[in-house]
Amino acid sequence: MTDMSAGSAAIPRAKKNSILVASDNMRRRNAAEARFKIYGLAAIAVSMVTLAFMLVTILNDGLSSFKQARYSFPVSLTAAVLDPSGDRNRDEMAKVTTVGYAKVLIAAFKAEIEARGISTEGLSDKDVSDMVSKDAPGELRATVLANPALVGTSIDGSILAIGRVDGFIKGRVTMETAVRDGNVSPEQLQLAERLIEAGILTSPFNWDFITNSDASDQRPEAAGLGVALIGSAYMMLIVLITCVPVGVAASIYLEEFAPKNRWTDLIEVNISNLAAVPSIVFGILGLAVFINFMGLPQSSSLVGALVISLMTLPTIIIATRSAIRAVPPSIRDAALGVGASKMQMVFHHVLPLAMPGILTGTILGLATALGETAPLLLIGMVAFVDEYPSASLGGILDPATALPVQVYGWAQRADPAFIERSNGAIIILLIFLVIMNVAAILLRRRFERRW
Amino acid sequence: MNDMRTMERIVSTEGNKITARNVQVYYGTSHAIKDVDVDILDKTVTAFIGPSGCGKSTFLRCLNRMNDTISVCKVTGNILLEGENIYDSRVDPVQLRAKVGMVFQKPNPFPKSIYENVAYGPRIHGLTRNKAELDAVVESSLKKAALWKEVKDRLAAPGTGLSGGQQQRLCIARAIATAPEVLLMDEPCSALDPIATAQVEELIDDLRSQFAVVIVTHSMQQAARVSQRTAFFHLGNLVEYGETGQIFTNPKDPRTESYISGRIG
Repeated sequence: MTDMSAGSAAIPRAKKNSILVASDNMRRRNAAEARFKIYGLAAIAVSMVTLAFMLVTILNDGLSSFKQARYSFPVSLTAAVLDPSGDRNRDEMAKVTTVGYAKVLIAAFKAEIEARGISTEGLSDKDVSDMVSKDAPGELRATVLANPALVGTSIDGSILAIGRVDGFIKGRVTMETAVRDGNVSPEQLQLAERLIEAGILTSPFNWDFITNSDASDQRPEAAGLGVALIGSAYMMLIVLITCVPVGVAASIYLEEFAPKNRWTDLIEVNISNLAAVPSIVFGILGLAVFINFMGLPQSSSLVGALVISLMTLPTIIIATRSAIRAVPPSIRDAALGVGASKMQMVFHHVLPLAMPGILTGTILGLATALGETAPLLLIGMVAFVDEYPSASLGGILDPATALPVQVYGWAQRADPAFIERSNGAIIILLIFLVIMNVAAILLRRRFERRW
Repeated sequence: MNDMRTMERIVSTEGNKITARNVQVYYGTSHAIKDVDVDILDKTVTAFIGPSGCGKSTFLRCLNRMNDTISVCKVTGNILLEGENIYDSRVDPVQLRAKVGMVFQKPNPFPKSIYENVAYGPRIHGLTRNKAELDAVVESSLKKAALWKEVKDRLAAPGTGLSGGQQQRLCIARAIATAPEVLLMDEPCSALDPIATAQVEELIDDLRSQFAVVIVTHSMQQAARVSQRTAFFHLGNLVEYGETGQIFTNPKDPRTESYISGRIG
């Protein structure tokens, strides 16, 4: 036998069933595997491209809302107009309306243009004064009433420009569109160009977008997210307070204490079904129960939060139950084995181990709740709200709106300036969602115990 | 293994600790334990042997009512701990489990520090009045479990960071910290290597001086090494129960003989 191998070993020839050659079957299986990998990569590529496209679009359309065109010029606050009684009494001064402030403001604007020698040819007085936002006198009035001592002095005003001038700086409005636009003329835009050159018209960061309340159709430049942010914050707080204790308690009971019978099966099926109910249905429920039956004020963050709580509860219960179920039974045995009562077992051992899962589930549930829109439309939170909700406990009953609803509201307005704000609001919303998701990941890492 | 030496072992019988009479266990419709009568003696190691699924673990878990956690499990008959029926409606299983401690098959320390693992039982049962007493209980329990020397400098380290054998001894320390009268061990060495097994077996022999130990094991050599009395279970029946030496050298029942000689199981 050994002699024979010497000759044939010189030329290694593929024999039948050699492992050096892939069999037909093997080739088919490898090809199938390669195909499957390509499908997977393609699926991921498609979703990445879509996501990137969405982000680029939103950022492209929305980032500009964080800048706002403003004129900076000295405003001398004429005492004769703003404080006719002359005693700097705040209540007396409050009788002067924005009309009075508009006069002072426009006079100062024109004086500045004249003083800097900027030509206003082809423009009437009204054309020039129309370039200042209708909201600017109100802003000035608020500043003066907050500090009556300013009357009689000259302050460095930072005065809102109209939305069209803002759009001109951001490239949304051009000379060509201005020809067809009733709200702005090419001559006004030319003046705006000269004001930019003179350094009077600039685009600083737009804090008002974050703090202001919503504004009417004619003054998109003044519209802000303030009320929506407060409303969303109140709602998240209430959702947290109502959902987490109820959800976690329900999950613990169902997982650890409830007998396994037909009733708990029924409850389980219903919880899973509730998680799948369209959110608008919860809106109708909230309208019927909280507003019509219980008589809670509509548009209030309390009602919004209660409706969203109903939606979030099943999500939190499902997440918490799976987190509790994932705790190894050996830990339960160990606790019971040394004579812990069932409650001690749950609170000393099971719950701490389930905590990362519960926290993640809760935060992800809240993130969904933060983006929820449909039920809020039904309970009237889409209304135009100009007043901030009160900072006291009663504030939860004041009319408010929420971030996603504000996005929806602005997206419906005619002026393209509102579309820009709508995208800006989406950016803020996405920032909050990213923060919440990162918090979920960090908490999970922080609380996770090694086995 | 020299099984013969078990013959020479002196068996001290200080009366029954646990008396089981006519015990039946049902899982739903299946009858897992049939008519078991056993007397567990105090200060004695009793081994339960038998093939997989013969009900020895199930019966062990009846002795501290751990089977209560399984909703379909139903136990009838009498199990008396020092003359008191542990299945009496007045008995709180939580209180019972402080007296009848248990060590499980897989080492299952709590994901807490070594100290907290041992201190947990005394703390929830209110056995100590202050920190110094608790420290003393922790120390003596770890010493009894032959773990003190290895961990005394790192009591704050997580119990899950110990080796498998150390974890199992930690679990034994945790069980004896509540000062039980009976210690139940469900295959305590099945997840351990031979060295750790030898350590735990030695420990079991030491523990015998303080309380009754009941051990379920798959290893007949282990039963022969550590126990004074052995019960052989087969298909839910208690086939034979007697002194370990007699069971292994002179079994009365042919099924016992088949099992220990390796013909069934």
